[in-house]
Amino acid sequence: MTARSFDLAVVGGGLVGAAVAWGAARTGARVVVLDEGDIAFRASRGNFALVWVQSKGMGMPEYAAWTVASSEAWAGFADELGRESGIDVAHRRPGGFHLALSDAELQARADNLKRLHNQPAMQRYPYEILDRERVRGMLPEIGPEVVGGSFCPLDGHTNSLKLLRALHTALARAGTPYLARHAVETILPRGGGGFRLLSSGGTIEAARVALCAGNGNARLAPMLGLSVPVRPQRGQIVVTERVQPFLHHPVVTVRQTDEGSVMLGDSLEETGFDTATGLGVTGTIANRAVRLFPRLARVNVVRTWAALRVMTPDGFPIYEESTSHPGAFVATCHSGVTLAANHARLVGPTIAAGRLPAETFAPFSARRFDVPQAA
Amino acid sequence: MSPERRYDALVVGAGPAGLAAATTLARAGRSVAVFDEQPTPGGQVHRAVAAVPESRRALLGPDYARGREAVEAFLASGAHHIGQASVWSAAPGRVGVTVGGVAHLVEGDAVVLATGAYERPFPIPGWTLPGVLSGGGAQTLLKASGLVPEGRTVIAGSGPLVWLLAWQYLRCGLTVDAILDSTPAGNRWRAAPHLAGFLASPYPVKGLELLRAVRRSVRVVRGVSALEAVGEDRVSALRYRVGAGAWVEMGVDTLLLHQGVVPAIELAASAGIRQRWDRDQLCWHPEVDAMGRTPLAGLYLAGDGTGIAGAEAAALSGELAAHAILGTSEGGRVSGLLAQRARWLRGRRFLDLLYQPAPAFRVPAGETLACRCEEVTARALGEAAALGVPGPNQLKAFLRCGMGPCQGRLCGLTVTEALAHHSGRTPAQVGRYRARVPVKPLPLAALAAMPATDDERRAVER
Repeated sequence: MTARSFDLAVVGGGLVGAAVAWGAARTGARVVVLDEGDIAFRASRGNFALVWVQSKGMGMPEYAAWTVASSEAWAGFADELGRESGIDVAHRRPGGFHLALSDAELQARADNLKRLHNQPAMQRYPYEILDRERVRGMLPEIGPEVVGGSFCPLDGHTNSLKLLRALHTALARAGTPYLARHAVETILPRGGGGFRLLSSGGTIEAARVALCAGNGNARLAPMLGLSVPVRPQRGQIVVTERVQPFLHHPVVTVRQTDEGSVMLGDSLEETGFDTATGLGVTGTIANRAVRLFPRLARVNVVRTWAALRVMTPDGFPIYEESTSHPGAFVATCHSGVTLAANHARLVGPTIAAGRLPAETFAPFSARRFDVPQAA
Repeated sequence: MSPERRYDALVVGAGPAGLAAATTLARAGRSVAVFDEQPTPGGQVHRAVAAVPESRRALLGPDYARGREAVEAFLASGAHHIGQASVWSAAPGRVGVTVGGVAHLVEGDAVVLATGAYERPFPIPGWTLPGVLSGGGAQTLLKASGLVPEGRTVIAGSGPLVWLLAWQYLRCGLTVDAILDSTPAGNRWRAAPHLAGFLASPYPVKGLELLRAVRRSVRVVRGVSALEAVGEDRVSALRYRVGAGAWVEMGVDTLLLHQGVVPAIELAASAGIRQRWDRDQLCWHPEVDAMGRTPLAGLYLAGDGTGIAGAEAAALSGELAAHAILGTSEGGRVSGLLAQRARWLRGRRFLDLLYQPAPAFRVPAGETLACRCEEVTARALGEAAALGVPGPNQLKAFLRCGMGPCQGRLCGLTVTEALAHHSGRTPAQVGRYRARVPVKPLPLAALAAMPATDDERRAVER
C-alpha cells in the first residue's frame, strides 16, 4: 500500500494545529491534519476563550510582545476566517478585568503588573489599577466585596468552539484533509528527506512535519531530535445556563459568552493526565463568582469540566525547528486562543516556507531549558 | 424532608427498582434514604399510585394499581423517602442532591442508582410544535393529574406504551382517532426466533388482551414509513405514508409520539461506569452484573437504567442489588430472584426486536431538529460530520448540540446514530456524549456552598 504524500503534515487538530495548518494551506502548500479520536485530552474543547494580554510575559518580555501582536492581529484574523468559513467567531475586544476581593489581592495585583512592566526590554502596554467606584462604572453588578481591579484595554474574548469549527471549516474549504482517528504513533525521518508518520489510521508521508499535538508533543518530539518538556496542568471550568447579557467586559475568571451562558474559571492543578472534576474546586470557583457578581447565585449550572493545559517549565511557548531533522517543527503553547492569529498568520506560513525566522522565534526555542538555572 | 448527613445506603429513584432495593435494605435493619424527583414514590410507571383517587387507579389498569403494594411495603419499611429531590452527582460513597433549593452531599456506604428510563427521541418534521407530545409525557399527565387530550387525538409510533396508552384512554372514555403504527413489517421475522422465550415469560398474559381490546375500538394504520406534523402555531394536521405509498393527510389536535424507552444512564456514566451499545435495544447499557454490581466498589445499578426490561424485572433487580449489598449468600432467595428475572429478560428480547423503531425515525434529515434545546438541525449534523469529526463530543463542541438544559438526554442517541449513519461506522465505534456533572441543573449558590479543602481553594484563589 502506498502512503498518501503531502508537503506538510500537521500533527494535532486542536486550535494550534488547525490554525497552523490553515496558515500553511493558504500559502498553497498541500497540507494534511492528523488527529486523535473523539475522546482525547483536548485543551481546545475545554478552554476559557479569552484573547488575553494583561499579566502575560513575566520573565520573558518577548512573550509579552508576541501576545500583544496576536491581540492586535486578532480582529483582522477573525474577519478573514469569517469570510473563508462563513462562521462569525464572536471576537470582541472591549478590554478586560482582573478583580480583587480584598485589599491584599488588589495590592498583589498592582505589584505584579508593576514588576512585569519594569522588566528590561518589556514592550509596555496600557493598563490601569481601578478602585471599586471606577470598576463599578464599567461593571455595575459587582458585589460588595469587590475592592477594585486591573483593567487592560487590549483584552478581549471570542467563542473558542466557533473558532475551532471555523478553522476546520476553512481547512475543508481549502481542500485540506482532516484525518481524525489518526493518532500518530511513530514518526520516521526518511533517508532522502521528508517524514513517514505511522498512525492508528494508516501511514502518511510528508516533506515537512509540524508537531502541534499539545501534551502529546513531549512523546513525539524526541523522534525528531527535539525536546519539548510539556506537562499537563488541569483547569476546571463551570458553565451556566443562558442569561440576559449583563457582563460587557470579560473578567479573567468570569465571562459571558455571545450565546448568553456564563463561563466561570478556573483552577491550576498539577494532577497529571487526569480530567476529573471535583466539587471542592468547582465549588470554590462558584463561590468566588457569586462574590464577584451576586446575581449569579440564582443562575443554574449546566456543566462542569476539566481540561489539561499544555505547560512548559516556564509557561511560555515553544516554536522550533529540529537541527538534526530539518523540516520538522514544533509549535506548542497554552494560549491557543490568544495566539491563534499569530499561528495562522505567521507560524503556519513560515513553516510552510521551511524556516522559522530567528529574529522572531529564537527566544522560543526549547534550548532555553538546557541552560542551568543561575543562582 | 431534608436528608441526614449519612446513611448505610443511598438509593436514587423511587420506581420499582429503587423501592424494592430500599425496602429490602430497610427490612434488614439498614438506614436508607431514597431520593426521587417526584413528590410521592412509584416512579414513572407507578407515578402517584398511592395518591390518586381509587377511581382513576382502577381506570389505569391492574399493572398500575399493583404498584401500590410496593409503595405501601416501602413506606412501612422505615426507609426515608426524600421527594422532589434532584440528584446531580453520584459516586461511590456519596450523592450530590438538591432538596428545596438547598444542595447536600449525602454519604452512604452503598449507593444504588435506579434511575429508570426515558423516552427515545422521535425526531420527525414538526415534532417540536405545540400539540405534539410524547406518549410518555401524555401518560404522566393522565396518571398524576387525570388530564387527557382534547379534540382529535392520534398516537403514532411503536412499542408497548402506544397500546397501553390507547387502552387507558379508551377506559377513560376518550376517543383515539387513530394509531399510526410505525413498527417496520420486517421486524416480525427477526423477532420470530425469540417467540418461544416470549411465550414462556409472563409478558403475553399482560399484553395480548390489551392489544385486542384496542384494535376493536381504534383505527390502526400499520406499516407507517414516514410521518410529519404540520401546523403554524400548533399542530393542525399530520401527514404519513404507508410503505412507498402516497402521502395521506389528516387533521389532528393532539399528536402523541412514542417509540420506546431507553435507560437513563447519565448519572452512572458521570460516575465513571462504562457503557456498551446494545444492538437489540439500540441504546447504551451500563457495565453491570446480574446482581447490580459495577466495577466501582460500593456503586450498584438496578432497574431499567441498566437495560429496558419493565417494572416487574426492575423490582427483581432492585431486590437483587439489595442482596448484593447485604452480602446474602447465593442460592435460596437469590437464585429464585435471578431465575425469575431471567424469564422476563428472555421474553423481552422478542419485544425489543418486534418493536425496534425504523432507521428513518431515528436518524432525521433536512431541517428537522435533532437537538431541540440548541435548535440544531439534521442538516447541520450532516455538514459537521462531513468535516470529519471523530465523534459526538467534537460535534457538540462544533454545534452546541447537547449543551442545553436537557444536557443531551433528548438528542444523545440521535446524534450518535446520525454520526454513525454519516460516517459509515457503528454507534459503538462512534461513542456518546460524555456525561458532565451536574447531571441535573444546579443553582450556582448551591455549588458555591460545597466544602473545599485548603488545597482545592488554593488551586482557584490566585
